[in-house]
Amino acid sequence: MMIALRYTAMLCLTVCALFSFAQAQTVTGTVMDNKGANLPGISVVIKGTSTGTVTAEDGTFTLNNVKAGAKLVFSGAGFASQEVSATPGTAMNIVLETTVANLNEVVVIGYGTARKKDLTGAVANVNSKDFNQGPVNNPVQQIAGKVSGVVITQPSGDPNQNISIRLRGQTSLTGNQAPLIVVDGVQLPDPNQISSISPADIVSYDVLKDASATAVYGARGANGVILIATKRGSAGRTQVDYTGMVGFDKNARKYDLLNAEEFVAAGGTTDNFAGGATLRNGNTDWVDAITRTAPTTSHNIGISGGAGGFNYHGSLSYLNNQGIVINSGKEMYGLNLNAQQKALNNKLTINLGVNANRANRKWTDFSVFYYALQMAPIAPVHDSTGNYYAFRNDFDIYNPVPRQEMQLNRSIDQTNLWNGSIDYEIVDGLKLGAAGSMSYFNRQSDFYQPALPGYGNINNGNKYVENNDSKRGELHAYYVKTFNDKHNVNATAVYEYNYFTTNNGRAAGENYLYDPNENNNLGGGNPARNSVSSFKDAYKLISFMGRVMYNYDTRYYLTASLRRDGSSKFGTNHQWGYFPSVAVAWRLTQEEFLKNTGWLNELKISAGWGRTGNSDAISPYQTLLLLGGSGTFYNPATPSFNYRTAYSPSQNANSDLKWETRQGMNFQVDFSIFNRITGNINVFNDKTKDLLYNYTVPTPPFFVSNIWANVGDLTNKGVEVQLNADIIKGKDVSWNLGGQISFVKTRVESLHGTYNGYDLNTDHIAAGYAQGRGLSNNPITYLQVGYSPYVFYLPHYVGLDSEGKQLFDDGKDGTVGKGDLNDDMKKYIDPAPKFTYGINNLVTYKKWALNFFLRGVSGNKYFNNTRMLIDNVQNLKNGNTTKTGLESGDKDDKVASDRWLVNASFIRLDNATLSYTVGKISDHFDNLRFFITGNNLFVITKYTGLDPEIQVTGTNNAYIDMYNADNAYYKSRSFSVGVNLSIK
Amino acid sequence: MKCLIKSMLIISIALSGCTKLDTPVYSNIENSNFWSTPDQVAAGIAPAYTQLQGLCIWDYQEMQGVTTDEIIIPTRGNDWYDNGGHQRMYLHTWTANDDMVNGVWSTIFGGIGKCNFILDVVNNLSEKPADVDNINAQLKVLRAYYYLLAIDTYGNVPIVDSYQIDPSSVKNNTRQEVFDFIESELKENVPLLSSTVDLSTYGRATKWMGFAVLAKLYLNAQVYTGTAKWAECAAACDSIILSGKYSLEPGYFDNFKPQNDASKENIFVVPFDNKYIGGNDKERQTLHYNQNPTFGLLAGSMYNGWCTHGDFYYGNYDTASTYSNNGGKIYRSFKDQRTGQFLVGQQYSDLYPYPPDKNVLSHSTTNLLYDDMPLAYQPSFTLISDPSNAGRLVGARQIKYYPEAGANGSQSNDVVLFRLADIILMRAEATMRGAAVGATGTADELVNKVRLRAYNGDASYSWTGANITPANLLAERARELAWEGWRRQDLIRFDVADGTNYFAGARGGTRSPAKPADGGTYTRLFPIPGPQHSSNPNLVQNPGYPAF
Repeated sequence: MMIALRYTAMLCLTVCALFSFAQAQTVTGTVMDNKGANLPGISVVIKGTSTGTVTAEDGTFTLNNVKAGAKLVFSGAGFASQEVSATPGTAMNIVLETTVANLNEVVVIGYGTARKKDLTGAVANVNSKDFNQGPVNNPVQQIAGKVSGVVITQPSGDPNQNISIRLRGQTSLTGNQAPLIVVDGVQLPDPNQISSISPADIVSYDVLKDASATAVYGARGANGVILIATKRGSAGRTQVDYTGMVGFDKNARKYDLLNAEEFVAAGGTTDNFAGGATLRNGNTDWVDAITRTAPTTSHNIGISGGAGGFNYHGSLSYLNNQGIVINSGKEMYGLNLNAQQKALNNKLTINLGVNANRANRKWTDFSVFYYALQMAPIAPVHDSTGNYYAFRNDFDIYNPVPRQEMQLNRSIDQTNLWNGSIDYEIVDGLKLGAAGSMSYFNRQSDFYQPALPGYGNINNGNKYVENNDSKRGELHAYYVKTFNDKHNVNATAVYEYNYFTTNNGRAAGENYLYDPNENNNLGGGNPARNSVSSFKDAYKLISFMGRVMYNYDTRYYLTASLRRDGSSKFGTNHQWGYFPSVAVAWRLTQEEFLKNTGWLNELKISAGWGRTGNSDAISPYQTLLLLGGSGTFYNPATPSFNYRTAYSPSQNANSDLKWETRQGMNFQVDFSIFNRITGNINVFNDKTKDLLYNYTVPTPPFFVSNIWANVGDLTNKGVEVQLNADIIKGKDVSWNLGGQISFVKTRVESLHGTYNGYDLNTDHIAAGYAQGRGLSNNPITYLQVGYSPYVFYLPHYVGLDSEGKQLFDDGKDGTVGKGDLNDDMKKYIDPAPKFTYGINNLVTYKKWALNFFLRGVSGNKYFNNTRMLIDNVQNLKNGNTTKTGLESGDKDDKVASDRWLVNASFIRLDNATLSYTVGKISDHFDNLRFFITGNNLFVITKYTGLDPEIQVTGTNNAYIDMYNADNAYYKSRSFSVGVNLSIK
Repeated sequence: MKCLIKSMLIISIALSGCTKLDTPVYSNIENSNFWSTPDQVAAGIAPAYTQLQGLCIWDYQEMQGVTTDEIIIPTRGNDWYDNGGHQRMYLHTWTANDDMVNGVWSTIFGGIGKCNFILDVVNNLSEKPADVDNINAQLKVLRAYYYLLAIDTYGNVPIVDSYQIDPSSVKNNTRQEVFDFIESELKENVPLLSSTVDLSTYGRATKWMGFAVLAKLYLNAQVYTGTAKWAECAAACDSIILSGKYSLEPGYFDNFKPQNDASKENIFVVPFDNKYIGGNDKERQTLHYNQNPTFGLLAGSMYNGWCTHGDFYYGNYDTASTYSNNGGKIYRSFKDQRTGQFLVGQQYSDLYPYPPDKNVLSHSTTNLLYDDMPLAYQPSFTLISDPSNAGRLVGARQIKYYPEAGANGSQSNDVVLFRLADIILMRAEATMRGAAVGATGTADELVNKVRLRAYNGDASYSWTGANITPANLLAERARELAWEGWRRQDLIRFDVADGTNYFAGARGGTRSPAKPADGGTYTRLFPIPGPQHSSNPNLVQNPGYPAF
């Protein structure tokens, strides 16, 4: 309940004020910047006390019980503090000058908050003013490239594709490496559910990066934690805010496929095996045939206000991103409500929040991307009668347009996040409370495939329902107290109970008489072909956590925490684990010898150590000897039912199974100089022990050849630098330049260990495979000790011989053809990026502002599986090839080699926004701003594929550019115009 | 709102102090809670049998067939290149790290492990099933069958007969030790098996299936141990032949057709079903993707891969036919039913006849096309990789398991592992090699039972005693048992017994497409898979292969 804490902290301040100043008055006012824009979130504190408030979204504040003559201190992120005498009865108008220091900014740290200057761990905070602009499908894109050490990848332009988030490199060998995402205190059971939150509702992201910061999340903390806060209300006049934009997406890049003329000139032809006539009269760009310029729209309207200890914020949002592939897209409706009530002299605080969201998704059938690459450009989309050209070539090339256009392929997702908390301050500084949250995710998918022209398929349909729910209860105690003005103590104790369930059900059938019914009469087909299935699982996580943050005179800091987690996923021998952390910091600028240098505003060094766990790789029950269906057996002796399910152990039970342990050290320097430049440098060294992997065990004696076990080590070492500079700070003109660069090196240190005293040794595990016809059994990436995960292991391509056959290095200064290749001729090639970076520029001139953001990755290599398939003259027999392929003269079979492993370093103009702020127009017409945004405006890269940003590490397809998965959906380029409007 | 607060308070209080982590299992079953009804026991035993589904199609069959003159998987365009794996099988250049070599090992020993696990569970139940003795015998005989595959394919494999065993104690056993283990397990357990042959034992280990395993073990004893056991082989065959439980089906193809449950000839089958038990993709392996009209298959669902070379087809099969003319179309009927299992030459859009040896269309204007060229299978070819369109049409195609109309793979044909004709030919071979003639007759009498059926009862094709030669018998086995998974074993056995060199491919020159002769006889065993060694370093490589 981070948000609850934020408010309880405020409450605490208010309560103190109540005791101190019984005879006082109310002060009101507005805070704005030097350009006249109202400033929300500015802290207003009575000097010499801890009593205060923060300004509302419109910059206004109301502070009760202010003693006459008291001085108010105004401070906020990015602004120089100011002291002004309170003027009760007269509205105060305060203008704050910008600075670069934002040390009093409140940062959410998990189970509480801290001021930025008081942090001891590596915690990055991004507020709404720094978000990436323009249409975003997934809110996390708002901070892509903004935070050092965080790599956020949207691998394609598919509005329905899940985003990939990695903190400080690859942490594990198995599936889930996404950080824990916490929205208003609700720990999302599945990080992908974040796509259901309306981006416009989010005010801040706090990213916990190092183990000393994430250890409070114990067995869920190893991949880092992202804490997201949505908008809150504040007391004052009711305010309505509207943000809206319209725009369009278009396909950013295409392969250099031959057009009809070039195809014919190169000797290409096409034959129709579907039974009808072969048409060769077309001039079709098949990529164009399945794509379009897609309109995008988003609207968010928020209302907030409050009085008498009650405040609220509510918003409605609508988003419609039609995909650039025909008949694909996402439409989303959202409702977000937050309310807070204070009572009993502000000692009691109650918070409630609801986020409800409905997304209608139209999915893309990824096979159309392969067809589009393979279809001959002389084949038309439609035949002479205007119907889709019923076409098949070989056994796997069809007219893609009807497949994507005629299939019903959609889902309705409903996400509900509920949270509430109640806190009571029983004695000064000690608060006891309870919090709870529930999350419900429900997906209903509909699929219907009619008989497609030329496909020869039987029509079929299905319905699928999935629920993924969580419940959480928490009891907590907070103690915040200052002793002797110097000793500041902030202690937290938490008990937490989490229960997660997933269940699903599916019904399918085929062979229907009447297509327009789609999947609404599944029982109407061939009864022998009906199929149903369902599944349910559940697990529990129970935790105790204690944390003490102590500082002496905001100079010397010590934070220590301990969490004890028990999970039903773990084996009976290891159901409970301890996750400690400790961190220290020293603010040198608080020392006399550095206090008044004039140029050094802030210098803090800190060091932290912590231990976290990752249990996401284990699914529930994996520690048990469970029987599950393993095929069907024929049992003719049972007259009523001859085909029964056979039951067999699906896994080797491992009662020792436990979380992966990630242990990390982090050193950090924070600085601020000349009132213009701020930054921080982090150096970290993390080690993941007890790596979970589905290790190979010998058969015999095992009959399942894999076992989930904790074996192996992996290290992540890195350096992160984040800088922000106000290069020009004029009254009319300003230029802010910010950037980050992150280096991380990941290495598999060991894949060896024991299970039940038995040696498990599984070095050189094949992970990723090349794909395509005639390319089965072609592993190309491996898990190999001494290299980063998913290292390539490939022969070296030398060139073509005179007959267009490929030649490879034989390792003995000679060359061989593909038939004589063997493993001795292969070499390891590390595909991992050397560093990632982001550069942000904000230039303002009077009411104009130009913001552009460049993002890049350097040193990464991808395997272009798509080009391996199509860059080949042989393709002209059955499909199309590229100009590159035609020029290459390659007439050989397709062999996976480093020929297709391409440097994919890039720099991208991710986002550019030009805005004009009209500002305040009238008393009620509070603010008006127009903007125009472009996303993915250009990419500079030598990469030969469609886009150098593909699915990042963590799946077996890592670094492999697939024509039919993950990255197949084309990357889009977007343009939009929008408006922000505030009325009160 | 009040309600929510209240419920939250209640939840919080209710949860406080709760540290119990047990969570119910919803969709699977904890092993200890299963095995309590006869139906559950049957479902718990079934996996020992269903494991066979993974051995009678694809990789195991490729290792037994493509390594010989019987089957070849040429590279067609880039199709079926698959990292060179199929070519290596043909050329005998496989390595210990070939996926197929490791995959088949895992499947065979997965079956052995399942037998061990089920034996362990069933015999430790507090209330044992009423037929526990029969269950034990079935599982042990089935395990012996898996070991027969292992001794034949990998040779010096570890003997593991218990589920509760320290993995680090698992080491290679010699082929002799494995042979002795299989023999003693069979001798002890076959008598305990049911002798009933009806629906209740369909697809199950019966006494006759047990004798068939034993007969195969003895038939190849000389290969496995250096000591021939022809008399023991003959005795095991006689037990089956003289039981009277089986007879040759007059229609050869009735043993393999989509609904082949009623075959009186099949001794042990792996059941498949188009609706319920998927995986029988035999038609997919071989037929061209444009051939769907011929068998009423779904469009484009065939894979155009496995085929038989003309040397094998023309060298072994009798293509003599009678012809008839109807409406401008010419039909042929083969004298030998078995010749009908191959598709050769031009293919037509007319529906194919069943059985496929009679009234087969041989001239018509309804030609199927592929890329504007006639869809005609050319059995004789010289390149293992031919990127031209003609390369996609090489090789005779196999329809022994007659394709099921309306299907898209997953045929309903049950796959035959043992059948009477094989046992009869085995008995004839044992006699030829020295076993005494028994109540089942002389070698030529035995072979003629099979030939009479093949030639539709026409005795003019019968053999005399002089015809019983190794070369003739090997050719008869080729005709009768093509694509049934025996060719590799047969070639090696004949090589060992007669000093020939069929398996290495050097007989009378070279194989076409060109295959260099092997560097030694070590290729008669596959290597112990590399990945198995890396997870169990105790394992020692077979002779002739690079040591681990």
